[in-house]
This record gives sequence, structure tokens and C-alpha cells, in this order.
Amino acid sequence: MTITRSPAADVAPVPERGRLLSWLTTTDHKRIGILYLINSFSFFVIAGVFALLMRTELARPGTQIFAPHAYEELFTLHGTLMIFLVIFPLLAGFGNYFVPLQIGALDMAFPRINALSFWLLPVGGLTILSGFLVPGGAAACGWTCYAPLSEQLGTGGDLWIVGLILVGTASILGGINFIVTILRMRAPGMTVMRMPVFTWSILATSLLVTLAAPVLTAGLIMVFADRQLGTVFFDPSRGGVAILWQHVFWFFGHPEVYMLILGAWGIVTEIVAVFSGKPIFSYPGVVLSFLLITALSFSVWAHHMFATGAVELPFFSITTELISIPTGVLFFIWLGTMWRGKLRFEPPMLFALGFIAMFLIGGIDGVWAASPAMDFAIHDTYWVVAHLHYVLFGGTLFGVMAAMFYWFPKMTGRFLSRRLGIWQFWLQLAGFNLTFFPMHILGLRGMPRRIADYPPDLGWSFLNLVASIGAFVIATAMLLFFINIFLTLRKPRTAPDDPWGGNTLEWATTSPPPAHNFDALPPIRSDRPVFDLRTQGSGGDR
Amino acid sequence: MSAVATGRRAKPEITGPMMGMILFVASEAMFFAAFFAGYFTIKANEPVWPPPGVPHLKIDIATVLTVILVTSSVCVQIAVRSIRAGATRRATVWLGITIGLGIAFLALQAYDYSQLGFGVKDGVFGSLFYVMTGIHMAHVVGGVVLLALVFGQLVRGRLTREHHDPLAAGAIYWDFVDVVWLCLFTVFYLLTPR
Amino acid sequence: MLAFALTGCAKEGISPTGQDVHQLYNVIMVLALPVFIGVEGALIWCVVRYRKRDDSVPSQTVGGNRALAVFFAIPAVIVAALFPFGEATLMKIEQEPTPLVKINVEGFQWEWTFLYLNEGIFVSGKTASDTAPQQPAQMYLPVDEAVQVTLTSRDVIHSFFVPDLLFKRDAIPGRTTTFTFTPTQLGTFHAQCAEFCGLWHPRMTFDVHVVSPPDYQAWILQERKAAASVTCQPNGSTLAVVAHNISWQDPQGNGVYCLAVPENTPFTVSITNEDAGIEHNFSIYDSFFQQQTFFKAPKITGPASETEQIQGLPPGRYYFQCDVHGPAMSGAFIVGNPGEGHGPGQGPGEGQG
Repeated sequence: MTITRSPAADVAPVPERGRLLSWLTTTDHKRIGILYLINSFSFFVIAGVFALLMRTELARPGTQIFAPHAYEELFTLHGTLMIFLVIFPLLAGFGNYFVPLQIGALDMAFPRINALSFWLLPVGGLTILSGFLVPGGAAACGWTCYAPLSEQLGTGGDLWIVGLILVGTASILGGINFIVTILRMRAPGMTVMRMPVFTWSILATSLLVTLAAPVLTAGLIMVFADRQLGTVFFDPSRGGVAILWQHVFWFFGHPEVYMLILGAWGIVTEIVAVFSGKPIFSYPGVVLSFLLITALSFSVWAHHMFATGAVELPFFSITTELISIPTGVLFFIWLGTMWRGKLRFEPPMLFALGFIAMFLIGGIDGVWAASPAMDFAIHDTYWVVAHLHYVLFGGTLFGVMAAMFYWFPKMTGRFLSRRLGIWQFWLQLAGFNLTFFPMHILGLRGMPRRIADYPPDLGWSFLNLVASIGAFVIATAMLLFFINIFLTLRKPRTAPDDPWGGNTLEWATTSPPPAHNFDALPPIRSDRPVFDLRTQGSGGDR
Repeated sequence: MSAVATGRRAKPEITGPMMGMILFVASEAMFFAAFFAGYFTIKANEPVWPPPGVPHLKIDIATVLTVILVTSSVCVQIAVRSIRAGATRRATVWLGITIGLGIAFLALQAYDYSQLGFGVKDGVFGSLFYVMTGIHMAHVVGGVVLLALVFGQLVRGRLTREHHDPLAAGAIYWDFVDVVWLCLFTVFYLLTPR
Repeated sequence: MLAFALTGCAKEGISPTGQDVHQLYNVIMVLALPVFIGVEGALIWCVVRYRKRDDSVPSQTVGGNRALAVFFAIPAVIVAALFPFGEATLMKIEQEPTPLVKINVEGFQWEWTFLYLNEGIFVSGKTASDTAPQQPAQMYLPVDEAVQVTLTSRDVIHSFFVPDLLFKRDAIPGRTTTFTFTPTQLGTFHAQCAEFCGLWHPRMTFDVHVVSPPDYQAWILQERKAAASVTCQPNGSTLAVVAHNISWQDPQGNGVYCLAVPENTPFTVSITNEDAGIEHNFSIYDSFFQQQTFFKAPKITGPASETEQIQGLPPGRYYFQCDVHGPAMSGAFIVGNPGEGHGPGQGPGEGQG
């Protein structure tokens, strides 16, 4: 089944001289998407090395390599970079590349602002990293950087603040761009209830970032003012309120974690459908869940503050437990999609299945923390470290890997090695569980977070060693991933338009697409226009 | 569903740039809301408000500032209406007045700052007052710059009855900045005992 | 994964509320385990059963509204079961029975101090330095008695975390928070700060010793004797104290826990505050219980210094402290020769409980 194609469909070769410049000045959403991915994977390596360094230190009790302050800079930057420079921009990068394609548009609504949004990222990230070069070192306060501790930091703290303001501004502009693109630039026939669920997930993410990220910016300005302008927002000795920071931060922070997972939910839902050969079991259910979670995410923030004794516990406990309901619905939809399907276990599907298996654990272990009485025992312990990594790594990162294997042929015209992908999957799955599952137990045994060292007589040593070994298994898996990319990019372009039997519009054009995205669009009469075209049936009007 | 698809074909009332500005204003509203949340949190924590040692704010200059800004919002809306009616010159005049009033606001506020008798370092009240009104002032500066750029386009004949998104969007932003001032005025001058 | 249920048990809890939390952990596990087994099991079953074996197109079934309603109902039921149980446990924790022991706990970078209000005892740990190892604060408690803790922080946010109580509460500057618990098991239990608070956060540990009532009384007497045994000789009638890192030192940088002046002789005290931005003062009372005030210097904010003239005092054992920081910055104030006669005061730690 082919789409009529004009001769101009081939990508015109770009002269070598102007190539770098063309990448630096591009406003093409596809190239910007790739830039996002390159930037994110670069910071992923840096932040990942920080994690390996930390796990090496923690493998045995006693100080082996890092004096406490250095360790504290590492965990601060590991968290900050992973969240703001890796995970979120990976999803934004896929969004940039694929949302316009999925809705049949030519580009994003505001291409030049799109470019600006990207370039602010490496500038912001490098600003944060440059803290290592100044006296006092990089910020050392945890990615949440609570006040009043934040007021004691050296210049590294100011660099952290400025870097985050740049990154936050970039993401807000990006969010606005996505919303306008999705609401204004869909091809004829593509109603909102026919948009791919990945596009829905980016829309939901963008709503969150547009409304929540500015709150972080405000908080960062407050702490910067306290540090440099003599204000006292968070200084209790002069009328400030110490936990004001926590309220402001987590009002942003909780929507933030949904910004870090929604895109992955969208990706996994689509991949499971394609590789099961079936439609999504309940498309309206997915949309409804996304929207409910988006709305509810603004009401749960103080569940991060149960241990302060300063917040209304039953209210936030209820809202937190409520948000688990639409999340649970997604699992049923994924299972229902697979039920009576014909499953193909290509790497995208392997990683998607890994996502479901791991995100389930991350979601469930959060339920313990949703009950304040239980949270008093596990807050700020390694239980939370386990939970956050199960959802962000076991969840989102597995989803990102699924997306990479799924969309790599579309973006580059080449297939990532299936064999290396399968090796990576199993190593990644094993290493990940080896590292993070024991942390549940460590948390229950009372090991707090953010400690550079621990005593040998508390029963924490063995599990820490296991976790550290797991970290190196993960590193091996990641090495395979980068080798896979490197080797694949040297291969010739062989991928067809629709290698997987996809459903959505990105598979209705060449791999990679021409600069103008489509020569011709198939008719859009359902949420699976390419499936409809391929099977020459209507697939049902929806 | 098909009705919506058909609706896409007609020229939408809210264009892409307009929607972008509305969303931007929404994000700015959340930005300012965070500061107001800080204000009420800190205030609830203090037994006496304003805290002792802070000279009470005088409402006279602030009232003039409010009148200036509200008037300018009316002016910018007249400019938008003018261009929608095809009266480009009238739009230019009213936009010019808006910008002038904006600059007057900035000048008068700077003067007011010099008269207040307390500074940003003077405890929580100073922190809140100067940071919140200061950030607002920065947004007024941004608005003046934005409207000046639109003015330039208007003067060069680039805006028409059919295509005048920059002016409409600029007016939305300007009105928003006015609304924020009204909230600041209410909180700092009307609701605070003087 | 079943190993989770077996080996990942929460601590039993050394108090009734701790045991209630342990029970809550189990209840949540009972709700979570079927979900986990069910979903992972369904996943594995799909992987095995629905593997693509031929090229036919599978039936393109979708779920309708009824299926969706069931999908929403199932987690809703679980949440409806979980919430009330969690609330009930929380209400038990929030109960405040009349305490026998009342302790003001203060966290600061990077130590804990415990002020036993009824017994008049002040316990402090000592953060490690280049020359001395860490001495974590030791909290002794009588078994089976309610203990009320009033918690605050002196500087940044810390967290009072006793894993065996399955409990923690944040220590927040500018805010005090109170909670009560009853330890019912003898033993020594590790505890430490659970909110990242800067450089030596990993070392901010303390130990909780739950002992029998006679042992508790013996400990109290021991602490009081240690406080009372602090003594020093008068050396002229000019004293110099330096407030540094929220503790008293002499001008040479040695810690000062005892000051002495001759009896019935006016004397001067020069007070230097080296803590920038922090208020200190110098006061003399009869004892830790401050039933009589003999002198109170005005508070000064560092860096600053002042010199005060003080009238002569009758011989005896008094108590000095910085009023801002209380017993954390205090010591014995001896007038005349110690051991000769008893003055109006009795020094820290010797008051009635």
C-alpha cells in the first residue's frame, strides 16, 4: 500500500559546509526534535555517571571516594539534570518530532519560538553544571532544594536557580506552542477524538507545564531574592515562613511528575496497540484518564509534606488516593488491548511490556506513601527513592526506549539492531530491579535519603552493595544502547514508510519524512487513519 | 464530530497567535498567583499586619496609578475596536495614548517608591511589597515595549482590519497587566489596615 | 516478587502506634498484592497466550462504556477500603495521652538537644570535628510511659526520625510541633535526621534508650550529678565570654561551661557575639528553672560586643545562659568557693522534677 508521491518528496541533500549551521538555526520541528533527543541523551550520560559515582560510594559503609559535600552536589545535580534536562525534554523531543506529523500539520504553530525553547535547554543545563567550577561547588541541597537551607548555598546555588529559570521558561513556551499546534493545526477530519493518544498525552503535559511551571519560577525568584536582595520570604527569624517554599515547590512539583509520565503513557498505549494488532481497548478511557489525572494533579501537592505536621492530612490523602483510580484504568486498557491480539515481541513491544510491569510496581508502592500514618515511617527514606525510580526509570525511561526503537526507523530511515535491543532490554530490566527493588527494604529498615555514608551495624550494607552492582548492570545496558545507535547510523537507509504496521499518520510518509512532512494525507475517519488505509476498510467511524 | 471538523474550515475567531497570548497570560496568572499565595501565607503567620516598624502605605499615589492603568486599558481596547472598524489612524492615536499612560505609570511608581520610607530589606512586608510590585512593574515595562513594537507596525501600515493579531494580542496582555495591578492595589492598599 | 511480601516487612514497632502503622503496612500489602499478582499475571498470560502465531488479523475488539465503568470501579473499591483504615491509624497516632516525660527537642546543624522539662536535664550531642569523633545525643526514656516531644529547629529544616517507632516529624524553624508516643519495648534504637540539612546531615544521628523506670531514675540522677559536678575557681572579677557557633567560648576558643567570681564582689562581664546575624545575650539565674533572675544583659546581634557591670552576689551555685538559645548555651555560675555554703540557686540540673 503506497501513498502517491511526487519527485520532490526526496530530501534534498544539504551541503557539508552549511550543515552544522543549518542544524544550529533550524526551525524545522523534526530537526528540533532530534536536537532535543541529542541534548537529553548527553545530559543522561552525565547524570548517569553521577549516579554510578554515588552508588560506588554507597556500596560499602564508610567514606571511600567522596567527602560529603561532593556527594551532596552529585545527588543534587543527578536529580535536577535527570528531571529537567533528560526525562522531560526526551518526551518534549518526541512530541516535537511526532505531534505535527500525527495531526497532519506542516510544523509547530510557532517554529522560531520552538527553536528558542530548545536552545535555552543546553544553556540552562550548562549553567547548572557550571556550579562545579565555582568556589563552594555546585548546588548541594537535593533537587527539591528546601528553604532555608537553600539560603546557605554558595554561588552554585545561584547558578542552579538561574539555570532552572531558563529551563522553566523554555518549557512554558514549549507548552504553549504544543497547545496551539494541537488545537489549531490538525488536518481536516482529525477531530480531537481522532487524535493519537500520544498527541493527547502531549496536550495534557502542555497544559500542566503552562500552568504549573510558572509557579516554580515564582518560587525560584523568591529564593533568589532572599539570597541576593535581602528579602526574607523563607527566613522565620524575620517573619518569613520556612515551609512556604515547600508549598510553592510542590504545587509545581506534583504536576511536574505527571509531565514526566504522560508522554510515556501515550507512547506505550500506541505501541501496545500496534504490536498487538488491535485497536486501543478504550480510546475514550485513555483520554478521560489523562484529563482526570491532569486535573487532579493540582490537588495533591501537600502529600509531599505530610511529615511537617502542617498540612490538612485527610484532604491530601484522599486526593492522592483518588488519582490512583484513573491510573489503574490505564492498566486495564493496556491489558484489554493485548487480549485476543497477536503480539509481536519486537524491541518496542518488549520495552513497552517492561514499562507496564515496572510502572505497576512504582504506582503500587506509592500507595503506601499516600496514607499519612504510613508515610511518617517511609517519607524521606529509600522507599521513596525506590518509588520515584520505579515510575521515572522503570516507567518513563522504559517508555522512552520503546519510543526510540519504534520511531528510530521513521526518524533516520534505519532500524536499530534488534539483537542489541533485546540484550539491552533484559540487562536493563535485570539491572534496574537489582538496583531499586532492595531500596524498598532499605527504606523500611530506616535508611534515610541523601546520606553520603551510613553506619555498618544497621543491616543496610548488603542491600546497598546489591544496589550498587545493579547500577553497573544498568550502565552496561545503556552502553549497548549507545553502541546500537552509533552502529545503526552508519548503515544505509532501508526503512519503509510503515515498518511496524502502525495506525497513526506518521507512518503515512517516508522514513525519514520530507521537509514538508507529507505529500498527501490519507483520509482521516477514525483514530487509526493508516490502519484504515492499509486494510482498505473504514475501521468504523469514530 | 463532523460538525467540529467543518467548523475548522471557517476562519476561527481566536487565531493561533491570539490563543498563544491567552495561554501565555494564563501562565503569567499562575506566576503571580504564587506570589499572592506567598503573601497570604506569610500574613497568616504574623500576629499583626502590617508588621510593626513598617510605615503604613498611603493610598493617594496608588489611587492615581490605578486610574492611569485602568484608563490605559480602556484606551487600548478602543484602539482594537478602531482597527476592527478599519479606522487605522484612530487606532494609532489610541495606542499612542495607551503607551504614554504606561510610561506615566512607570514614572509615577518610581517616584512612589522613593517616598515610601521602607525598603526591600525591611522584613517580610518590604520583601512582599517590593518583589510583587517590582515584578509587576517589569511586566509593565514589557508591555510598553510590546505595544511600542505594535505601534511601529501600525504606523508602517502592517495591520489591517482583517489581520491585526499583534494589536489584539498586545491588548490582552496589557489588560492582564492591569488586572494584576488591581489585585495588588486591593491586597496592599484596600485590604491592609492603613 | 513474592519475596517482597516475605522479606520486606516493616519494622514491628516499639510502641502501640508503631505497631498500628506496621499493621497498616500489612493491610496495604493485602490490598496491593492481589493487584500486583493479578496485573503481572495477566500480563504474562497475554504474552504467552497471545503470541503472534499466524498472519491472520485478530478480531478488532474494543471495550465499551460498561468495561470502562468496571475499570474505574475496581481501583475505586480498593481506595474506598484503604482510606478509612489509613485514617483510623492516623487518628491513633494523633492521640495525645497525658505524658509523664516531656522533652523539648531542638535540631540544629548538625546535632540534637533534648531538654527534659520535668527533670530539668539538658542533653546534647556533639558534632564531630577535626579532632573529635561524633557524639550523638542520647535520649533515655522510661518504658511504658507516654513521652511528649515538642520539636523545633534552630536553623534549617531537620526531621526527627526513629525508624523503630515507624514515625518521623519535621523540625521546622519558626514553628513548634508536638507529638506523643509510648515506647513499650526495652532496648537501644538508632535514630537520625531524615531531612537533608547540609554538610553533616549523614552524621546527625541520635540514640533512643528505652529503659526500666529504676534505670531511668538512675540516669536522671547521673545526669544531674554530672551537671552539678561542673565546677571552677574564681580568677579575678573580670569575665570574658564569646558566643561562637551558638555556644560559649573563652577568648582563646575553648568551650566554657563554668564561670566563677569571688563572693560579694561586683564584677564585669564582656560579651562578644561572633555569630553574624544571630542574637545572643547573657543572663544569670538561680538555676535552670529560672525562678530568680539575677542579671539579664540586653540581646545583641553579632558581630557585636558589650561589657556589663554586675553587682556582687552571695556565695553559691547559680546558672548562666543565653536566653535566646537556652540550655544549649548555658553553664554553672559559681560565686565564692564551691562547696562552701549554699547560695540561693542550685545550678543546672539540680532542681525539682
